Amino acid sequence: MSGITAILDNAARALSAEQLGVEVTGHNLANVNTKGYSRQSVDYVTAYPEPSPWGPLGRGVKVQGIERAFDPFITARLNDKSSLLADYQTRSAALQQVATFFNETQDGGLNDLLSQFFAAWHDLANNPTGAGERQTLLSRGLNLAEAVNSRADQLVQERLSLLQQVGPTIDEINSHSARIAELTREIVESEANGHTANDLRDQRDLEIAKLSELVGVRTYTTGDGNLSVTLPNGLPLVQGVLSWNLTYQLSPADTVELIWQGPGGINESIPAGQLTGGKLAALIQTRDELIPKYQQDLDQLARDIITAINNQHSQGVGLELFSQTTGTYRVSDPGAPLAAALPLGDQIVNGSFQLYIDRNGTPLVSGSIAIDPSLSLNDLVQSINTDPVLSGYVTASIEDNALKIAVNSPTDTFGFANDNSHALTSLGLNTFFTGDKAYTFGVNAWVLDNPDLVAAGQIDASGAHAVGDNRNALALAALEKAPAGPDGLTFAEAYERLVMNLGLDAQDAQNQEKFFQGLVDQLTQMRDAVSGVSLDEELTNLVKFQRAYQAAARLVSVADELYQTLLNLGK
Amino acid sequence: MRVTMPTIFNNIQGNLQTLAEDLQRLNTSIASGQKFQSISDSPVDVGALLGLTTEGSQTAQYERNLDTAKGWLSVTVSTMQQIEDIVRASMALANQMATSTYNAAQRQSAAQQVQGYLEEAMQIGNTEFKGQYILAGFRTDTPPFLEGDWQVQAPVLHLTPGSTGTAVSGGVYRGSTGRTYLVEIVSGGGPGVGTYRVSTDGGQNWTDPAIIPAGPASLGDGVEVTLGGTWNAGDRFSIPVYRPIKYQGDNHNIEIALGAQSRLVINETGSYAVGGGPGDPDLFQILAQLKSSLEANDTAGVGSALEKLRSYEARNTSVQASLGASLDRVNMKENIYASLKEELTRQISERGDTDLVEAVNLLKTKENAYQAALLASSKIMGLSLMDYL
Repeated sequence: MSGITAILDNAARALSAEQLGVEVTGHNLANVNTKGYSRQSVDYVTAYPEPSPWGPLGRGVKVQGIERAFDPFITARLNDKSSLLADYQTRSAALQQVATFFNETQDGGLNDLLSQFFAAWHDLANNPTGAGERQTLLSRGLNLAEAVNSRADQLVQERLSLLQQVGPTIDEINSHSARIAELTREIVESEANGHTANDLRDQRDLEIAKLSELVGVRTYTTGDGNLSVTLPNGLPLVQGVLSWNLTYQLSPADTVELIWQGPGGINESIPAGQLTGGKLAALIQTRDELIPKYQQDLDQLARDIITAINNQHSQGVGLELFSQTTGTYRVSDPGAPLAAALPLGDQIVNGSFQLYIDRNGTPLVSGSIAIDPSLSLNDLVQSINTDPVLSGYVTASIEDNALKIAVNSPTDTFGFANDNSHALTSLGLNTFFTGDKAYTFGVNAWVLDNPDLVAAGQIDASGAHAVGDNRNALALAALEKAPAGPDGLTFAEAYERLVMNLGLDAQDAQNQEKFFQGLVDQLTQMRDAVSGVSLDEELTNLVKFQRAYQAAARLVSVADELYQTLLNLGK
Repeated sequence: MRVTMPTIFNNIQGNLQTLAEDLQRLNTSIASGQKFQSISDSPVDVGALLGLTTEGSQTAQYERNLDTAKGWLSVTVSTMQQIEDIVRASMALANQMATSTYNAAQRQSAAQQVQGYLEEAMQIGNTEFKGQYILAGFRTDTPPFLEGDWQVQAPVLHLTPGSTGTAVSGGVYRGSTGRTYLVEIVSGGGPGVGTYRVSTDGGQNWTDPAIIPAGPASLGDGVEVTLGGTWNAGDRFSIPVYRPIKYQGDNHNIEIALGAQSRLVINETGSYAVGGGPGDPDLFQILAQLKSSLEANDTAGVGSALEKLRSYEARNTSVQASLGASLDRVNMKENIYASLKEELTRQISERGDTDLVEAVNLLKTKENAYQAALLASSKIMGLSLMDYL
């Protein structure tokens, strides 16, 4: 029913509606810098009209509710890309770290040490008797070994540091899942009266965004405020108001095994390959797939250097011969075939090596020991000790599961030659390097203690050996340019390939990171275009609501004047 | 599109960050002089650089090897030249002494001169280079030439026609200087019949004639000779006593690497280049023969020694020629490596070094961009409706 009261009624509703407008604007202004906040606005509708003789008469404004500006599709895409961005960020950071260990753009790289090592063999070939040349060679050998060790160690450290991040990342994932379930419960409760819980939904969306950065997830909403969050393989992290935890353990193969702890104590293992995107997947894949690849390459390189150098070195003699020597490699079982029992046992082939005995520095006798990969260390000891020639001069024994050969008479010394079985390499006798992988790569203590044992020369068939002989040193120096290892690359080339692969992987991760950063920036702009707060816009709105409020207030005074006029009629 | 506060400020931050990163990278690149700071900057270029650096250090090493080769070869050449000088002098002397214008006394003193040459040749043969005997094969720690014990040599017979005399030398020399015993049959006949006399100065002074004994005849200082057959008067033979020079080295050639596949022999073994070993020509033996021939006043012997000296000189020349050829090869390789090194340096620099002009230009551009971005940002940040309300 129309009338002055209706006008007042209208004005009162307008006043409270515009006041709400100012309040919501204030809320927007206050949250201009709040992460995940979506701009809110009052949904005004005209109040239900009243029938009047002149037709339906407008009854002013009515507040329908408060809405948030939110585009679920852009947000879903943004989460998806943020997930991939976080993946590449983590990968790139780890690979950059690994790349610094192999940074060959600076001085003192492994490549340089490798060249220096072989240069030292050339120098020794130029002056086989030089004590200085021998010492330089040994220290360059040590430098090379230590550089390889330290890189192997750094790779292990990097894997460890990645593993240390896995636990906290999983904890974070679990706490975000729990928070999402908690927020869902609050949203369902507070939306029971039919109004959208805008700020709670903002918070939940923010939690989902944070979760996406840690692990790739998919979300499904059911309309009534409920929400499911699942991993790419379908296992749920959040189902409505319930959440499930992730945990991990190390598998026997030293890989991270991710476990989903479902309802009723169900534990389900999640293969790392099933995760896509997110920091967690990057941590696990970098630790268990990428870095082991470099470790393998480095181990292979170290092994190739050790076997190639030792195969040649064991053919020669130094300035001095041995009165006794012990192998650097131990067998796992003295009764087992050498090929299986020694770390480098795969090098052994059918063949033989020769032992030359000197008495008081003059060649005396020589003998040949036949080698067969199926021989055990016990067999070998027996074969030396029952050799018709050699048994009178040397005695073989097993010390600490390694082969020891010693002369019987203090006037005698012995040297090795013509080992075509590679048994000496595998046993670690008359060798230069020790170890069988990057981590254990070292220089044989026998030559370190006595540089005169560096085998620059070779024994002639007559048993003669001279100090000026540089044949073995020349052959060793030539290994620098010789193809080695399964791919037929030189050591330097194999190392270059390792460095280049690593560099390419790191560069690729960096490029992907940049690409996804661009996408995320773009999507963030799109999201902000919808949900972000513009100060100028809000200020304009503020003035708008203020003016509307003033107008409504004016309506009250007009109604008041109308009343006055009416009341004065009777005077 | 709605432009909101987060968009404006994120953009400003993002753009400034990108520019700052570019500036930082350019700055490091200029300061370090290196285009790449990490292997991920350009893995392919870094890989290529590694290859080039490896090649560079290998080349440098081969150059060092060439230095060693040059040292050995030059020292060996000069050793061979010095020996050649001695050979020339000996030949000149032998030439003179082979003529009949000289007498026994003069030949005696010439023999002393030859002894001097012999000792000098041995000394030169024992030349050391950086503490290593260069003519000893692999046995660089042992002097290659060493005087052996005193040895009574086989007699050199000069029989008159129809003589059936035989002589076998023996005994152990007790003296301290090399000498040659000249024996002359005074009256013909076998042991117990013929007489002989001995001279140790080429026939200037003789001992009193003695009857040829059935057993060994003592010539003095422990040297003995057993004469057999029937001698004629005027038969002569000489028994030289000297310490033969023996080669102590081995027959190995020392090689060094001139490249991945090429090696070069840098030494010459003493037994081949000089003597003292089983093969011919043996300079020491020739000189010893010359000396004994002179001591025995034996011009025919001097003549034959002269022939042998000539053949040794040919050996010496051929050794020098082959050493010279090796030196040529070293010099040629040196030139190749020098230009290779230059090329490698150029390539490394081209790939890995910062192009300063380009980098500084780029830095200036980025600097301008950064300043422009700062200016624009501050303008945008300053705009607000609040200033007008």
